[in-house]
Amino acid sequence: MLSIRNLFASIGSTEILKGVDLQINAGEVHAIMGPNGAGKSTLSQVLVGRESYTVIGDVTFEGEDLLALTPEERAAAGLFLAFQYPIEIPGVGNMYFLRAAVNAVRRRRGVPELDAFDFLDLAKKHMNRLDMDPALLSRSVNAGFSGGEKKRNEVLQMSMLEPKFAILDETDSGLDIDALRVVAEGVQSLRSPDRAMLIITHYPRLLEYVVPDFVHVLSEGRIIRSGDRTLALELEAHGYEPSNETVPAS
Amino acid sequence: MTAATTTLLDRLTPPDFTRTGEPAWMREDRTLAHAWLQANGLPTARDEAWKYTPLDDILATVFEPAPSPPHGHVDVATVDRLAGDHGGFRLVFVNGSFAPELSRAGPRPRGVVFGNRASLLAEMPGAMSAAFVASRDRSRFDGFQAINRAADHDTAVVLVDPDTDVVEPIHVVHLSVPGDTPTASHPRTVIEVAAGSRLTVIETYAGLSGRSLTNAATAIAVGTGAGVTHYKVQNEAAESVHVAHTTISQAAGSDVHSCTVMLGADIARNAVDVVLGGADATLEVDGLYLPTARQRHDNVVTVEHAASSCTSRQLFKGVIDDHARGSFSGRIIVGPDTVATDAGQTSRSLLLQPTAEADSRPWLEIFADDVKCTHGATVGRLDDEAMFYMRSRGIAESDARAMLIGAFVNEIIEGVRPETLRAYLETATARVGTHAQETAR
Repeated sequence: MLSIRNLFASIGSTEILKGVDLQINAGEVHAIMGPNGAGKSTLSQVLVGRESYTVIGDVTFEGEDLLALTPEERAAAGLFLAFQYPIEIPGVGNMYFLRAAVNAVRRRRGVPELDAFDFLDLAKKHMNRLDMDPALLSRSVNAGFSGGEKKRNEVLQMSMLEPKFAILDETDSGLDIDALRVVAEGVQSLRSPDRAMLIITHYPRLLEYVVPDFVHVLSEGRIIRSGDRTLALELEAHGYEPSNETVPAS
Repeated sequence: MTAATTTLLDRLTPPDFTRTGEPAWMREDRTLAHAWLQANGLPTARDEAWKYTPLDDILATVFEPAPSPPHGHVDVATVDRLAGDHGGFRLVFVNGSFAPELSRAGPRPRGVVFGNRASLLAEMPGAMSAAFVASRDRSRFDGFQAINRAADHDTAVVLVDPDTDVVEPIHVVHLSVPGDTPTASHPRTVIEVAAGSRLTVIETYAGLSGRSLTNAATAIAVGTGAGVTHYKVQNEAAESVHVAHTTISQAAGSDVHSCTVMLGADIARNAVDVVLGGADATLEVDGLYLPTARQRHDNVVTVEHAASSCTSRQLFKGVIDDHARGSFSGRIIVGPDTVATDAGQTSRSLLLQPTAEADSRPWLEIFADDVKCTHGATVGRLDDEAMFYMRSRGIAESDARAMLIGAFVNEIIEGVRPETLRAYLETATARVGTHAQETAR
């Protein structure tokens, strides 16, 4: 589904990604762990089309050259990033924003738009599942939301937009145990054979709910180790330094 | 006097000209205005209040008096298209002359009189004299105001009796219909709202294409405990010049909300000058200006706290695109011997292109101690983070821009009533931000 080959990214003269290779197939969940500053957020932002980076390399998404697409085209193609720090947009209503996004994506995918009633029904259903106050729909996008409300709002957008490939950038950080469970269940429910996910996290707890097929360690702009889900537990116990017990990344 | 002053004056009615049957105060108005001009002339770039107005560009054009009746064809559909139909009553003036066939001026509800000065003079000469002579005393003159009085066109008049709630809005429309050469008109509006009454008045300035100068004067007197909502929409033709001065005087316990939206004209200067003359009066004065291409929009606000315990708020927002320039000067004067003044001022501008320019200037003259006065100004660009966030959710770049600009302008227009005016403004402002993108293609 997503194939990354020899991906470099820099801002100004600072190189952040230094040759990332990663293959993610439909139905798979991959986790990326790694120390702060390793380039995890940069990788996620580059994949969804952040323009402030200079990017070199090959990324294909379902056979299409992903790097040639605008952010909105990538969203329509089925990419989604749950932001580590969701953006506050004062003055733009959350419901208006969400409906504009859902219908923009549906239009590009050639699916009929949702009318106001169907949209609201669907939004309320998902919000109920995510244990979100429906009043958050009538507020400005993320403005004055608590940390937990922002993260839930990301998962709500993801649920509504039904991406094929979702990236979660530290969606678990800053959540208490109950909120983590609700959010994790929301993520887990999106898992399906025709969908893939890339989960960026520092903690193995989210990966207990959403069990990954593969775990990678990103350090200094490269994937230095890859393994199965047990790697997450080992990293928790021993840190990010490589050991002989796991296979180095190819 | 400068050559420019003389040029504009030469084209006006001479001061000693007497019109048949006119009352003495009308001739006095003209004489006073001429005398003021002789003594003071037109403002210059050295006048602080005119610092951001491109006076040289305005005065470089020779404007002939606008023809009346106008050369172009104007019908009700034209008025609807340019100014909108906001229900209630509508007084339409073309090149400064009342157009009854385009107006909806009756039947008048009890307690309110409106129409044009020329017809109301015959009906109620005493009331006209009282209203106009009173408005003379309240006017802070400048050269353009003096020319407006000296030209002495017909005037839109609204007089509300005490304790009268005027339910329907009164819409005053001033249209400019220029001829083959540049023309000037000097529309004037006089509004008096007596104690305990309420009124919503909408002023629209618009016109047909061609080079014209609209030099407008509006005087609003608000009585004790009265309430006035005043909207002004400047939607003049693209080649035109608009210079306007609104004077508002507030008696004790009155409340006023004045909101100006500037859309059109090549050069526009809108001055709002409020005197809080009685205790416990409250004022909100808002503005939205949206210059694009090479338009210049200049806002000059003066709020004078001449009495104690008054509250005033200024909120002006500009969205400036392409090579346009927008400016805001907000003056707060707190008079001596006043206490418990609460005055606030906020200016926010959004620059959509690196070539756009914004100027913002607070101007505080405080001669009392018991004053709470705040002011703040920001100039910014569209938030890149918000743009990217929206686009990453599938929203097209142009739609994301429109949503962010909409959020910015909505703070001013979301509370506008009647709903038809809010919808008109929403439609008119929706085009903002599209100009430079179109020309770039």
